[in-house]
Amino acid sequence: MKEFFYRLFMNRRREKYWWINLLVPLVSIFLALIVGGIFIQSTGRNPFLAYRLLFNASGLIPGPYWRSSFAELLLSSSMFIATGLSFAIAAKGGLFSIGAEGQFYVGAVVAAFFGYSKPFAGLPSIIHIPIILIMVMLFGGFWGLIAGYLKAKRGIHEVIVTIMLNWIAFYLIQGWLVPTGGPMAAKVETGVSGTPYISPTAKLPIILSNTRLNISIFIMIAVSFLIWFLLYRTTFGYEARAMGHTAIYNMEAPKVSGVNTSKRIMQIMFLSGAVAALGGSFIVLGILSQFPPVFEGGYGFDGIAVALIGQNEPLGIFLSGILIGALRTGATSVQIARIPKTFPQIIEGLIVAFIALHELVRYLLLKLAKAKKSSVTEGSVE
Amino acid sequence: MEALGVRNIVKQFPNVLANDKVTLSIEKGEIFALVGENGAGKSTLMKIVYGLYTPNSGEIYVFGKKEDIKTPQDSIKLKIGMVHQEFMLIPRFTVTQNIVLGDEPHKGFVFDYLRAISEVREISDKFGLKIDPTEKVENLPVGIQQRVEILKILRRGAEILIFDEPTAVLTPEETSELFKTLNALKQDGKTIIFISHKLNEVMEIADRIGVMRRGELQGIVNKSETNERELARMMVGRDVVLELPKANVKAGDEVFSVSNLNVKNTKGILGLKGVSFSVHAREIVGIAGVEGNGQAELVNAILGFLKPTSGKISINGKEIKLITPYNMRTRGMSYIPEDRKRRGLVLPFRARENIIMGQHTLYPFSNRGILNDKEIDAFATKKLQEFDVRPPDIYSKAESFSGGNQQKIILAKEMSLKHNFLLASQPTRGLDIGATEFVYKMLVEEKKKGIGILLISLELSEIMGLSDRILVLYNGEIVGEVTPEETTEEELGLMMLGLKRKERVQ
Ligand SMILES: Nc1ncnc2c1ncn2[C@@H]1O[C@H](COP(=O)(O)OP(=O)(O)O)[C@@H](O)[C@H]1O
Ligand SMILES: [Mg+2]
Repeated sequence: MKEFFYRLFMNRRREKYWWINLLVPLVSIFLALIVGGIFIQSTGRNPFLAYRLLFNASGLIPGPYWRSSFAELLLSSSMFIATGLSFAIAAKGGLFSIGAEGQFYVGAVVAAFFGYSKPFAGLPSIIHIPIILIMVMLFGGFWGLIAGYLKAKRGIHEVIVTIMLNWIAFYLIQGWLVPTGGPMAAKVETGVSGTPYISPTAKLPIILSNTRLNISIFIMIAVSFLIWFLLYRTTFGYEARAMGHTAIYNMEAPKVSGVNTSKRIMQIMFLSGAVAALGGSFIVLGILSQFPPVFEGGYGFDGIAVALIGQNEPLGIFLSGILIGALRTGATSVQIARIPKTFPQIIEGLIVAFIALHELVRYLLLKLAKAKKSSVTEGSVE
Repeated sequence: MEALGVRNIVKQFPNVLANDKVTLSIEKGEIFALVGENGAGKSTLMKIVYGLYTPNSGEIYVFGKKEDIKTPQDSIKLKIGMVHQEFMLIPRFTVTQNIVLGDEPHKGFVFDYLRAISEVREISDKFGLKIDPTEKVENLPVGIQQRVEILKILRRGAEILIFDEPTAVLTPEETSELFKTLNALKQDGKTIIFISHKLNEVMEIADRIGVMRRGELQGIVNKSETNERELARMMVGRDVVLELPKANVKAGDEVFSVSNLNVKNTKGILGLKGVSFSVHAREIVGIAGVEGNGQAELVNAILGFLKPTSGKISINGKEIKLITPYNMRTRGMSYIPEDRKRRGLVLPFRARENIIMGQHTLYPFSNRGILNDKEIDAFATKKLQEFDVRPPDIYSKAESFSGGNQQKIILAKEMSLKHNFLLASQPTRGLDIGATEFVYKMLVEEKKKGIGILLISLELSEIMGLSDRILVLYNGEIVGEVTPEETTEEELGLMMLGLKRKERVQ
């Protein structure tokens, strides 16, 4: 344990200006809030009122109805964290996967299937839920593996393949499996549209009474930790990061050192898909209890923003997932200040834009840091 | 008459004192060479003269007058021109467009391209620098691109011409062309400042030589009164031994061989044609050749990056059927890559992470896939010390080390891998004299230990000095096999250009 904390905190300090990694997202968030405020002001509304409403309802700040908004916050955060991690795993390994959206769909539909169908539906929760989650990760991983295989063996760019796989997943599920008459659709007599409802044994256990908050957030804490461990403490992560750092050079440095990059690419894409699918299962097992006829996705693409804000680091993604979850949870309340409920998404967009500018921000901050340092040490250089 | 004088120039960068009270006086019409190891401060000094950096203190005199040079525009007005280490040409533009850029002839408001072309012809004739004014720069070889740079500054009326490591990017033939040009310019009364860290070049071209070390000017010597050895000592601050005594040990069993290897390169052209040779234990086999004559294809075939259309590659007498870096390495190959930054290192990784690459899966660096930081740190600390890497900080990122120290990290890594065959591909490329010496010692050491070494190099002196046998690669073929005792650099040069063959009699 001591070793663990040492590695987590002390090692960082060895990095010169390590705090910049933290400061860049924080400054970006701050700037985004200011610019967002200016937008509101310029339309003649009150930015302070808007932000007060937004954050009061976000679940971040204790207050009236806090309990339920806090629950909603964590509920949606766990899905953002899943898709954010999915993107980051691939990105760390030098792969630009935008397949989380499709993998999220796959995860959701697989969770629904194993949630309602016999013989699984009769099993006790303690067996039923793990079976579902394992199947979800296998199928989601497989969906990612397709892109990994084509990249590793055929050299086809993962961006193109993951985009196509997103559409394939979308049409397979929404166009064939789930609509009335489809293989997974509920029987007409039941009056249910979409898939049948999952068995109660498939529902994720609630951890805060009188709310919908379930164990998904605990699962994501564990997964975030495992991914950090995998990336930084294992030979797998070591090789993956080496590949990520040398992606512009065709991964030549790890290759000539004997790293089997093809195998790793496939493993990374499998893992990335599995984690995104896990997020998809949460929406079925914890919120909707079925795969509905009209499924509102978007979590996969939001995951890219989450990963960007979190700087592709597991801990960062966990925090940025909470932030995005909070903004979404508080979204509807800004309407009281006559501001459309999509406003928080503008803030998200602004944060991402400022992060994208982070090279510039980083440059300015470094310059500032160095200027200060050299003024301190001037004259003491030998 | 003094063309350029710098007095007590001091330039402090945040972390280094790049110029420490440098005082120089350069005569009109001479070729003055500035030598020094990488990081000695040569470029910095010249960038100050050219107005790219402002010094912390010191004065600059141009043709006897004290001048305040703030920008390159100022120095161009003072007839100072600089050919930079990296060219500043626009590839899609023609030679003429590049030369007149920034100072175009006009007809009214319109750019007068025809007059520009004739102007370019005129100066190219005047200085005997042949060039096609209408060719696009991207289609020209590097040597000719450099000529465009020279013409560009001559057209602006430069009298003092600064060349920052102009030969670093040139082939030996292009270098001798450049030297002809420099001599012609000197005849014309121009003053030339020539920066390099290659001593043989300096001894060939310069009239006087200034030596820099760690920002300080160590001294100025006349070429006629010095020699390479003395210059090297001034540069490094101690005696440098580049001519190592040949370790005359008897070659042992064959450790590596290729037979009848045919390799198509990425363009689909046969880059290696029927190449066969073998390397024995305790032997250095040198591959000489002008760049682009099959060296890349050979290395990439050995690594498995290019599939041979036919032929065999064997290690320790056993043919390797599926050639991958992993398979080659597990059978005993180590590899010093030609491109440090691309193949040798993961630049954003720390030294400690780089140094275990390739053995990170082995005990004690990892156990069942989990890294053991304590062991890695201990190993890295030991290796950085053993190889004298500076700074010996295992947590520094590879990108923050200088070229020579990066190379030492690579050596430390490759040497600690279990191997009996070493593929050394241009192991001293871009290194300064101190680091080069280190690599040479290393290779001789390896040989004494019983390793068989395949040394691919573009430097003839290196091939001649280290190899026990030399193979000459020309146009993808081995056109000669000689020993350094029975050949000369001239003969090798002829073979490298395909003008002579000397094959071994079977
Ligand atoms: N723009 C810069 N900022 C900070 N340090 C620099 C800069 N340019 C050069 N240096 C440092 O100054 C020293 C001298 O560099 P340089 O003049 O390029 O050496 P040389 O041309 O002799 O190889 C080196 O230690 C280098 O790292
Ligand atoms: Mg330089």
